[in-house]
Amino acid sequence: MSGYILSKDNLPKFITEIMGKNKVFAPVEVNDETYFKEIKNPKDINMKYDNSKLPPKSLLFCQTETLFKFTPGTKVKIQPPDINNSKKAIFGIRPCDAKSFFIIDPVFKEDFEDPFYVTRRDNMLLVGLSCTNPYPNCFCTSFNDSPASSKHVDILLTDIGEKYFVEVNSEKGKKIVKSSLFKPATKADETKKKEVEKKAVNSITRFQKIDKIDEKLDKIFENHFWKEIADKCLRCGTCTYLCPTCHCFDIQDESTMIEGGRVRIWDTCMIPEYTLQASGYNPRPTRANRVRNRVYHKYNYYPKNLDVIACVGCGRCIEGCPVNIDIIDVVTRAGEVKP
Amino acid sequence: MVDEKTLRDAVKKTVGRKDVKYVVGYDKGTTGFQAAPTFAYEEKDAEKFVFNPTCVNNLAVYPMLEDKPPLRKGEEPDTRKIGIVLKGCDSRAIVQIIQEKGLKREDVVIIGIPCTGVIDPKKLKVKFPGQHKSVEVKYDNDKFAVTVDGKTQKFSKDELMPEKCKECEYPTPIIHDILIGKEIKGVKKPDYKEIEGFEKKSLDDKWKNWEKEFDKCIRCYACRQACPMCYCKECMVEILDPQWVRRSVNLSENTAWNLLRAFHLAGRCISCGECERSCPMDIPLMKLNKKITKDIHEMFDYKAGVDAEAKPLLAMFKPDDPEEFIL
Amino acid sequence: MKEKFEPNIIGFLCNWCSYAGADLAGTSRIQYPPNLKVIRVMCSGRVNPIFVINALQQGADGVLIGGCHPGDCHYERGNYLARRRMAVLKNLLEYTGIDSNRVRMTWVSAAEGHKFAEVVKEVTEDIRKLGPMQHFRRENKW
Repeated sequence: MSGYILSKDNLPKFITEIMGKNKVFAPVEVNDETYFKEIKNPKDINMKYDNSKLPPKSLLFCQTETLFKFTPGTKVKIQPPDINNSKKAIFGIRPCDAKSFFIIDPVFKEDFEDPFYVTRRDNMLLVGLSCTNPYPNCFCTSFNDSPASSKHVDILLTDIGEKYFVEVNSEKGKKIVKSSLFKPATKADETKKKEVEKKAVNSITRFQKIDKIDEKLDKIFENHFWKEIADKCLRCGTCTYLCPTCHCFDIQDESTMIEGGRVRIWDTCMIPEYTLQASGYNPRPTRANRVRNRVYHKYNYYPKNLDVIACVGCGRCIEGCPVNIDIIDVVTRAGEVKP
Repeated sequence: MVDEKTLRDAVKKTVGRKDVKYVVGYDKGTTGFQAAPTFAYEEKDAEKFVFNPTCVNNLAVYPMLEDKPPLRKGEEPDTRKIGIVLKGCDSRAIVQIIQEKGLKREDVVIIGIPCTGVIDPKKLKVKFPGQHKSVEVKYDNDKFAVTVDGKTQKFSKDELMPEKCKECEYPTPIIHDILIGKEIKGVKKPDYKEIEGFEKKSLDDKWKNWEKEFDKCIRCYACRQACPMCYCKECMVEILDPQWVRRSVNLSENTAWNLLRAFHLAGRCISCGECERSCPMDIPLMKLNKKITKDIHEMFDYKAGVDAEAKPLLAMFKPDDPEEFIL
Repeated sequence: MKEKFEPNIIGFLCNWCSYAGADLAGTSRIQYPPNLKVIRVMCSGRVNPIFVINALQQGADGVLIGGCHPGDCHYERGNYLARRRMAVLKNLLEYTGIDSNRVRMTWVSAAEGHKFAEVVKEVTEDIRKLGPMQHFRRENKW
């Protein structure tokens, strides 16, 4: 692994350099909470954030997206929307959030290519920032990931004191480090990075037991356990809205008398309307069905179909749940339930 | 101070009754500074019940949230009672639901807890950031004793309590079948200084503030779900024909949702603060609710969730209601 | 060229009094501003606040609700209930920074064609002064 070094003084210059070619989205602090927002000045970035309130998935998979426009009436005219293909960059994305893009890629790329997602994804540069101070409910290490992994980003910066250790992981990344701001790293820097990573890993105290979880879940589909878990669920859907890998959407037509649009909006499998059929029949009538579906989708269907667990361990759903339904606890206990 | 043994005994006795389905109460949470709602179906489940300052949730939401999947032929609906552990403020929700005839008094068995205030989990999270192996919050006379990873620190109640507890009028549940411990007299009065201060701002300043807040809203409707009073079978935002509020997320629809949500709680909001607590985007929803609470108190001398026999505010009138705004 | 602002006002008028009052104003040839677009409702008590918010969203600069005089309601108490509702709603709008004068309520009987015209004049002038409603109008941009 050959690394580079970026001194902290040069960071603003580096960001300005990316800003020249891309629209840059970065963690910005608003009222003690961090959000990914477009920045105009490198000074606005919060380099020491815990975890952003909302995952950055909305930058690729917008909460509200127009699929096409139409004019209602007897002579319907359909007009495709302009797909914005400007270059964008996310600066300071955490390795876990970057992994979530990798997880939802197949949904929008395989079988059917979603032009909106794919265009944005192809034009997106990911500049990662290692997580040195994990969040209270972080558990990424449960998935053999590291808070300082460069696997899913173009380049990754790790704070090692006065400078950043830079790892490159893609062709896009290689072009960026050609800039004169980057200096080759020494062995000592690399060791320092490993130390920082180890410290971050050690500060994670929460673990989820996911050993052969997909097979175990197969056996307990009808178990009473799910009712026990879901009894306290309010079906508010906060978990799905805050989840970086949840990607369900609803499609609705909105129109005035003269024009309209078909829009795609985030949906949540936690509400009964999600599965309600026109006949009035609902295949998932109870909260137990819905909570189970969320767990199975992430820990059973996904590993079976795509060979990856659809959870990155960011802990947002645990943090956000008003009734303390704790995915770490739920999955760990599910693994111990006797079939 | 609530004796947990007495509480557990009461739960055991209630869940042991033949006409009770289950009892809802609080269990220790798995993480952070919050307790988790828990359900006792058998007497032995009562052992996990606790009551401490982290028991923030309003459990009055559960009777109305029960799943009622369609019955098969020959199946009888389960009409047994539900037992609930309720703090003073939470009991007002049940009173209000009974007033609206959402529930009958005999549908619920209320285990009342005279409450001396709970903590605001968000305030504690700021004080103790990062991961912790063990967390415990206890009542210690007129203070909260917070033990994090073995170290105990004491905090004055005002420092950690949410606003609603600082101005709690009803520490003892208004209706209850069993009361754990001694009744506490409510001596505090609601404080509308913040609301009055905000009212005095210019229209532009007010809108700028709310524009910023409503813009954050992601329309997950967690506020609605956490609210014990929001139990409509079909919410107005889910009606598709006519679709009053569109599903797309933008300032216009977000404002419509937030204003209508607040309005639909006029004369019904019992100020438990669950909407604000469960909002993932931290929108100060209670500031809207409290404004309406203040207005209806001033205009109609009405308080929600106090008298189960009273008529709902917007379903009655007095001939001399204020009408200076009418042309 | 800047066009002169003409307020767009939605009127929810009750079938038994205000609507008849408006009718009388028309048949008596009383002049009043054409800015009011009338929607007939069976009773002012039918007016759900959702109508008001939705009208403001969809391009109305103001909303006028007309009912019978207190005591005269065809359904005995609809106008009293509407009065309570609008009192709360107006305060809520004012609190969020929307001038509560955009939502007006009036009692007009079937015999008060003149009063109706006066009310419409007053409301139109008030809203003209307030300018277009821009706070949370639907953009309809797809």
